[in-house]
Formats: sequence, structure tokens, C-alpha cells
Amino acid sequence: MNQGKAINISDTDFESQVLKSEVPVLVDFWAEWCGPCRMAGPVLEKIAEQYDGRLKVCKLNVDEGRETAIKYDVMSIPALHIFKGGQVVDQITGVTPNFESDLKKKIDPHLE
Amino acid sequence: MGDIAYDVIIVGAGPAGLGAAVYTSRDRLKTLMLEKFMPGGQIANTDRIENYPGIERIDGPGLIGEMQKQVENFGAEIKTGCEVTSLEKLPDGNIAVHCDKDKFTARVVILGPGSNYRKLGIPGEEEFRSAGAGVSYCGTCDAPFFRGKQVVAVGGGNTAAEETLHLAKFADKVTMIHRRDEFRAAKVLVEELLEKVNEPNSNLIVKYSTVATAIEGQGKVQSIKLKNVKSGQEEGYPCDGVFIFIGMEPNTDFLKGFVELTEKGSIKCDCAYLRTSVPGVFVAGDCRIGATMQLVTAVADGVIAAMMLKEYFRDPNWWKEPVSDLLQPGGW
Repeated sequence: MNQGKAINISDTDFESQVLKSEVPVLVDFWAEWCGPCRMAGPVLEKIAEQYDGRLKVCKLNVDEGRETAIKYDVMSIPALHIFKGGQVVDQITGVTPNFESDLKKKIDPHLE
Repeated sequence: MGDIAYDVIIVGAGPAGLGAAVYTSRDRLKTLMLEKFMPGGQIANTDRIENYPGIERIDGPGLIGEMQKQVENFGAEIKTGCEVTSLEKLPDGNIAVHCDKDKFTARVVILGPGSNYRKLGIPGEEEFRSAGAGVSYCGTCDAPFFRGKQVVAVGGGNTAAEETLHLAKFADKVTMIHRRDEFRAAKVLVEELLEKVNEPNSNLIVKYSTVATAIEGQGKVQSIKLKNVKSGQEEGYPCDGVFIFIGMEPNTDFLKGFVELTEKGSIKCDCAYLRTSVPGVFVAGDCRIGATMQLVTAVADGVIAAMMLKEYFRDPNWWKEPVSDLLQPGGW
């Protein structure tokens, strides 16, 4: 699908990559100037690898994808939204102390 | 040496761990750093460091990048995305560190897991934070989402002062609330803050002797309940966001039952040589008792642990020895 890697998206391909995706999508709203976002990065790459074929991981830079960030009421980053069938089904905000396991707990129930 | 892979394992690649690694790797000790995210810890969130002696001004990621290069050039190995779940003291005196499915062993461990944002513990805080609906602990990250909005900043220390000034560049109005009647932040920051407050038509105001008791709103933050600690008077204060800068708490949950911790979770140690309750396990940085939560002191802690571990290598019974009057660790 995406060879187990997180892919960069923008406002323009948000619909095709996320809303019309056949598998659930984890969207990472992030920015260059956000330290915790940089901390989250390697964990998201790991998730992309481990869930390859079952979950798509997309990264949306809020400076480039401002419209989408506003549309989904993002007020705090990193914001991780889980999309299924074009809808947000769950989300997690900020880098929690047990980030990887917290993220997996949110993701797992939404995978067939 | 059997299956001993490393001389030293350092848990956490923040300033404390990196400070230790400069010394251990430079001494040709086989050093492994295990880091949950990526190198840096809390300081990676800071865009302005001006209290690191010898460096006039640098940002957190910049300084950490230099430290990382330095330790890697000396031969230290850094594994990122590797969350330590438990440690055990082995019968042969060495220490095993478990991390995901991996297990690493070493003669000595230096614990530098650092700290995380302290919470106010008031109604609404966790609910709005986890929903990303207007509660934040990182002004550097989230200030731009509050352009044209009204925010409340809680706190009175260095980070609170810096972050509040940052917020004032974006938000229409920033109200800083502080539980005491004066600031404890560094004078240079307090001066800058008050200068901003005193500007004509300033968008920054300070409420002293005030605490927050609840964060309220429908679906997102709409107001905060404030209480004056002197008069006892309460008020509902409208705002779109609440930023909380009230200090840090140690990341030590995974150490429960392994080393002795205080009730608040700090790692107990002798504050001279940084020995914990487990022989061969040192501590460095924000997570120990008596920590000053500063970049420089975290680095210094790492160096102390890295120097003292040679005393332990020389004689394991040194662990129980009292603090010496004139100790001269050799070989550096």
C-alpha cells in the first residue's frame, strides 16, 4: 500500500488519501516548529511499518494544510485523528508518556 | 564477561543522558542509550535557551543535535523509539534492561528518563486536553492556533514567562494567572514580561494571587473558573484556550518496584554521587530528588554519574560507602 511508511499529504489530496481510503487512516497534524511533533515522528513511522496493509499513516503539515486543520478543529498538535469511512472515529492529542501503546489502544478497535 | 553487551546503558537521551554519554564514550566505555522518542527530552520543546554558560543563545533542537553528534562521534550508540518497560538486577550483579522485545545488559545503568508536564488536576483539564479542544501544555506548539483568540496562561516560573510572551505574539488577549503575589521566574524574564504588560493597550494582563479551579465549555474550552486566594472571590472568565505551565513531574512509573522512589515519584539517591537504592544504578537529571530541573544541572548530573561509575567498577562495595571528603576519581 505505502510500503509501511508514513506519507505526506496536503489540503489537495486529503480527500483522496484520507476520506476515500479503503483502510482506516491515522492522520498526524504536525508542524516543523513543534518539538513534541518531532518526538512523535519515529513512533508514527514504527506504527506505519507494523500496521502495513491494515492502516494508512498520513502526515499533514498544518502550515501547508491549514484549511484541513481548521476544518477538523485542530487546536493542539501533534493531533492524531483516526479516520474510517471518511469520518473521524477517534483521536489523541499530544505526546503522552506511553505514546506508542496509547496510540495502539486507540487504533486497534477500528481495524477489522 | 559472558553475555555482557555494554559497559553502560543510559535510559533517556535528554541533556542528562547525553552529558553522561559524552564522558563514558570518551572513556571508551561501550555505551548504549535507549530513548523512547528521539534525543532531546523536554528541552527539544524550547526555542530559546540563553542560560547555558558559554552559549549566548541557541534553540533546544540545535543544542541537542550538537550533543548527539558529539557522543556518536565518540562511539556511543543511540537507539530511538525504544521504550524501556522494566529493569532487573541479575544474580551476577549486572543489570538487564527490557525494551519492547529486546533485552540489553550492562555493568552499570544511568537513569535519565526526565519529566513531563505537571497537571493542575482540575475538572475539564484532561477532558479538553485529550480532545485537543483548548487545553495545552506547550505554547511553542499551539500558540499559532489561537490567532485572534483569548487565552489564559497558568503559572509563574521561567517556562511560564517565556511561553506566555510567545502566546502574546499570536493571541488577541492573554491573561496570565499566578497563585503567588510575585513571580519566581528569572528577573530578566520577569522584567520582559512586565514591560510587555505595561505597554499601552497591551494584550497581556496578569492576575496575581489567583488559581484556576475548573475549565468549562460545550465541546471546547469557553471559560475558566478563577479564584482569588486572598479574597476567596470566584469568577467565570471567558477564554478560548488554557495553557498550563506549572512545572514538571518525573517519568518514573516504569521504575516502581525496581528503585526506591518518593511518594511523588522522584528517584531517591545520595545527591553527591547520584547512587540509587540499587547498586550499579545511577540517576541523573529531572527525575531525581532535589533536582533543579535545569538544562545545565541535568548535564552536570550525567557527568557526575559517568565519573562515579568508575569507583563502582573499581570496587562494588563502594556503593555503600559514605560521601568522601576528597575523592579524586582517576583516569579522566
